[in-house]
Parts: sequence; C-alpha cells; structure tokens
Amino acid sequence: MELIHSLSRNRRLLGDFVVRDLRARYVGSSMGFFWSVVYPFLNLVIYMFVFGLMLGVRFGDQVPKEQVALWMLAGITVWAAFGETVSRSTNCLVENQNLIQKVVFPSEILPAFLCVSSLINMLIGTLIVLLGVGAFMYFPNMLGMAETSERPLSLGLSLLSLPLLWAAQALFTLGLGYLFSALNLFMRDVYHLVGVFVTIWMFATPIFYPPELFLDPLHKDRMEFAWILSVNPMHWLISCYREVLIFGAWPDWFALGKFVLVGALLFYLSSRFFMAQKPSFPDLL
Amino acid sequence: MSSATQAANSALGAAPAAGSAVFAQDLSKAYRMYDKPIHRLYDLILPGKKRYREFWAVRNVYLDIARGTTVGIIGENGAGKSSLLKLLTGITQPTTGSMRVQGRIASLLELGAGFHPEFSGRDNIRLNCSVLGMSDAEITERFPKIVEFSELGDFIDRPVKSYSSGMYVRLGFSVAASVDPDILIIDEALSVGDEHFRGKCINRINEFRESGKTIIFVSHDMGAVKSMCQWVVLMDKGEVLEQGTAEKVADAYLKRAKARGNERMSALNRGTSAYPRWGSGEIEVTDVDMLDGAGNPAHAFSTGEPFTVRLRWKAHQDTRQPVFGLGLYRSDGTYVNGSNHHWREQPIALRDVRAGEQGEVEMSADALQLLQGQYYLTTFVYDHAKAAPTAIDHREHVHTFEVLDPRHFQHGMLFLNSRWSVRRRGGAQESSEESRA
Repeated sequence: MELIHSLSRNRRLLGDFVVRDLRARYVGSSMGFFWSVVYPFLNLVIYMFVFGLMLGVRFGDQVPKEQVALWMLAGITVWAAFGETVSRSTNCLVENQNLIQKVVFPSEILPAFLCVSSLINMLIGTLIVLLGVGAFMYFPNMLGMAETSERPLSLGLSLLSLPLLWAAQALFTLGLGYLFSALNLFMRDVYHLVGVFVTIWMFATPIFYPPELFLDPLHKDRMEFAWILSVNPMHWLISCYREVLIFGAWPDWFALGKFVLVGALLFYLSSRFFMAQKPSFPDLL
Repeated sequence: MSSATQAANSALGAAPAAGSAVFAQDLSKAYRMYDKPIHRLYDLILPGKKRYREFWAVRNVYLDIARGTTVGIIGENGAGKSSLLKLLTGITQPTTGSMRVQGRIASLLELGAGFHPEFSGRDNIRLNCSVLGMSDAEITERFPKIVEFSELGDFIDRPVKSYSSGMYVRLGFSVAASVDPDILIIDEALSVGDEHFRGKCINRINEFRESGKTIIFVSHDMGAVKSMCQWVVLMDKGEVLEQGTAEKVADAYLKRAKARGNERMSALNRGTSAYPRWGSGEIEVTDVDMLDGAGNPAHAFSTGEPFTVRLRWKAHQDTRQPVFGLGLYRSDGTYVNGSNHHWREQPIALRDVRAGEQGEVEMSADALQLLQGQYYLTTFVYDHAKAAPTAIDHREHVHTFEVLDPRHFQHGMLFLNSRWSVRRRGGAQESSEESRA
C-alpha cells in the first residue's frame, strides 16, 4: 500500500520525529521523565478515590486492593497512550502546517510518529505494572493484607504476546488518527469533537470499574448498557492487556482477533482516505 | 522527498525541450473558496453540486527554463509568484496542465520551516536536514559546514527559542544552502539578516550559478532581478504577461508599474486632507497637479523624465507680496528639495494681488533626478511683505507620487549626471559619461 511504502521509505525521518517528540516530553520540563511515571499514578489515585470510595464501585469481595490498583493502572496506561495519540493526531496536520506548506513533506508520517512515540512512552507505565505484579507475587504480605484472591497475580510466558498487542493497538490508533487528522482539515471543529468523543469513550470503557458492573442482575438499568462492551474495541484490547500483564495468561484470542480485524479495516479505509486527500492538504491549510 | 517530486512530475508526462530543467505547459492552479467551511465537508461526502468559487492563483503558465539559467519571477503582491513556486517545487498539485522537473529541487520558501523551539540549533539542523531529504551520510558530512556557515558560535547549543529572528534565519539559510540541488528556488528569503550575512548568501547563490545550477528567484524588486537573472518572467493576476531577457521584460514591468502606481497614488491622493494646513488664508491654493512630459496628470514618473507641478490659486483678500513655493520630500520625511519663484537669480515678483484674482503657478524640470521611491509634495504661499515671511497657505503633503527607475544603475535618492574615469598605469584611459536628460 502506498502509505506503508511511504512510511518505510521515510523511516529515518519518522525516527527523527519520534526521537524529537520523546525528547520534548522529557527535556522540555525539568521533571519530564518523572511526570511520565507520576501521571498514571496520579490518575490511579484520583480514580480509585472517585470510583472506589465515592461511588462505591465493587470489584467483588475476593479481590484484594492491590490487585484492583494494578488492574486499573494497566487500563490507564493503555488508554492514556491511545487517547493521547488520537487527540494529538487530529491536530497534527494543522500544527505542522509550516512543513506541509513550505516543503515537500510526507505528511503521513505525522500521525505515525505520534503513535510510535506514545507507545514507547507507554512502556514506562507497562513496566511499572509489571514491577507491581512481581512485587505482590513474591511479597504478598507487603501491605499487611494477606487476602487470597480467586485469580492470583501472575507473570508468565504470555508476556511474549505483548508485541502483538502493541502492533494491534498501533493499527487501530493509526486508523483513527489518519481519519481524524484529514477530516480536521475540512472542518476544524473535528478537533474539539474528538476531544469530547475520547472522554466519553474513556468512561464507556471498563478502566475504572469492572466490566461485570454491566452484568449485575441486581441492576437492570445497568444491564441495558451491556451492549457497550460488545461494540467497544478498546474494551477488547484492554482486557487482553490485563490478561497478559496481571494474570500471566494468554490474551483472549477471539477478542484480539476481533480487535485486529476492526483495526485493520479501519486502518485500510482511513489511510486510503488520507492518501486520497493528501494532495489537497496544502490548499486546505 | 525530492525524488518523490521528481517521480510525480515525470508521471505527468509533458514533452520538454532537450536540456530544460523545468518545463511547464498550461499550468494552472485553482483554489476553492468556500463561503462556509462546512460546505467543504459536504463536497467531500456529496459530490456533484458546486458549492465553491474558484480562485485561479496561477493561469495557463508556459515555462521552459534551460538548465543552468538564473530566472527571475517578478510581479506585484498577489500576482501568483509564490503559488507558481509551490507548484514547481511540488508542494501543491496543479489543477490543470502539466510540468516536468529534471533534477533535485531545493526551495527556500521559508527558512527554518519546522524548527522546534525547545531544541538546540544542533538538533534542529539534523531534523531540518532530514526534512529536506538528506541522507544520514550527507548530514554527517555537511554538519560542520552548516554550523560554521551559520556563525552562531555558542548559540548553536542553545534552544532555538532563545535566538533572535536574524539568528533564526541564519540557521535556516545555512541548512538550506547546504542542500546540493540541481534547481534552487528562492522566495525573497534573502531580504532578512544583516548586511554581512546577506553578502554570504549572495556569494552562495553565485556559487550555485557558477557551478551551472538552475536558479529560480522570486522578487518584486526589479533591480535585484535585473542584476542576477538572464531570463525574467513577469506575472500578473496569475498569468505570465511577458517573459524574455531582463531588458525586454523590464520595460513591460515599468509600464505596468507606472499604470499601477498612477492608480494607487491617485487613490492615495484622494484621501490626503488629513495632513496639516495652516496660514492666514488671504490666498488659497485650490489645486495641485503633477504633469508628465506630455502635459498629462500623472502620479508615477521615471527617473530622468520631464515633469511639471502646477498650482492653481485664488485670492480672497488683497495681498501685497505673496510668494509660491514647493517642497519635495521622500516618504520617510527626508527634505529633498525646496524652492520658490522669488529666491532665484531672476526672481519673479508678484505684487498687489487683488481679492477675487485667480491664477496658476508652474514649476518644471527637464529631468527628474530622483531615484526609485515614493515622494510627496508640500506647497507654500508666504507673505514676503513682512520682515519675516509669514504663512498665507501652507499645505503639508498635498500630493504623493512615485518614481520608478527603469535602469537601476545608481542607488540612493538622487541621480547624478556623473562622469567616471578609470586609468591604468601605462595603459589607456577609459571614461564613461552618464546623463539622463
């Protein structure tokens, strides 16, 4: 495909952009790297407080607190990378109009570099989750709560499937990134709409609450929304990540398969759209 | 990336003459203007209906630029010069027509496009080089030269956001100049920076020229274009009005510029009542006209052309000894010349003007000795019957006019009828007279 060809031809430029972006993350502010670590934790504390304490969302009596925390953290890091890429991609052509209008520039690398950069940044969060899981596996009494869980924390060979998950995530994220970035040139409001859309989507994905919440027979009103889970690709992806990162199990291949299918289709269509509109980008800016 | 341009261009498949670096035929570019941005989206989803107006920035351009020539593209603002350059570089795609570019193009449309403010000059050089399509090996090889050329010293390791605008441009030009293109496109990028650096830029461009590269140069300064270019393309409203040797096009350009200057200046002159006017008011200057050699009112003149200023006046009260005068100023306020009909070797004395009388005063010169620029006139009527002349009607800035210098040989404000002679010891003497009358 034209777009993939172009990405591989310009891979060095792409690499330079990724390096530039990562450095901007860590160099620009005095505590750049520190923030990449602190942000997920900060989010974790806030959402645990809001959902666990204020709203009383239950994860079942058998689930220990530290497991809930790691479970949430796994979701938060994945979502952060996804949400960030989608919203930054939407505006990336406008932000780099200097390049697009003044030099012959392969604009298709812009969403791609954002995606790669945020995936690399996500590794920090992933590493923290893995360290946490390791710590609680070997020192279960660390917090003085020797609770037993029906599904213990575990790490295993299934970590080998992580690259597959990353690739799948990239495919899906890029699909949305290409679509929104091109649409945003036709109508700048797309940027704002996407911001709202990503927020709604985040709360519609079981990140801070267990998916079982929708399946609780005591709450008929919630069960009516159970369909959200069955149409939400990010739910499929995040639950795969959790299987691998927290429970040491292999991902649910069916869910992953569905996700890859949706991602590939989306990527195919929106990259076609992007490349078809690309010649008119300098005129639209 | 330039190779991508090349591929795209050759795919268009026009038939170029042998040895031409750029060949374009019927090249046009239309921009779509939508009344509402949402209509653009409708157009995308529901094609068929036309919801936009077309704006033709470039229309039916034919260009055949031979390899190794320096070509100037001139025209007023909005003539389509930059749009044409964007087409030639391959940044935008033509709406109709075809073109073919042979060789690698580098454009200096904007220096330092895509610099990141947080990064050091060094990092930005790397990134900018790869944006301009250089390979790793090329970057490593040229890096020291770029750093040296930019003359940024220790600043090269400071973030670009701390640079002055001159430093920014210097860095940008250093990078762009290190690209080794077959065709170099320059869009008035050189009008910035200090004298010393500008000199370096011009040297670099001359090097390009001497090594047989093709240069396309855009400007609205006829003088710069004439001194650098063998071939000149004159554009107006998106079309090529005239192309040919610098001499040939310069005439056409001057004619147009005069017509345009006349238009613009007369618009300017309609609204000049805002300038100060004072005096006792016994005599009023009612009209001020500038006339060209043929006696027609004009607002734009060429250097060396005959010209006349004519004042019409009307007396409201008896005045014993009024004197009419004229002041010439350059647009920045520099007083260029002042004179009146009384302070001369042969003064004209005007005495005992009666109330109700009318008349005209003319000042004319065989050759206007001003060089290119914008100038204005101030008129004076002063009463010389008093010990110190007092103002009767003093009108500041009554008339604005433009001077165009087609030859552009001399610089500054005034044309001097000068004589040069050059002698070599033991050799013959060569001298040159120059006058404009």
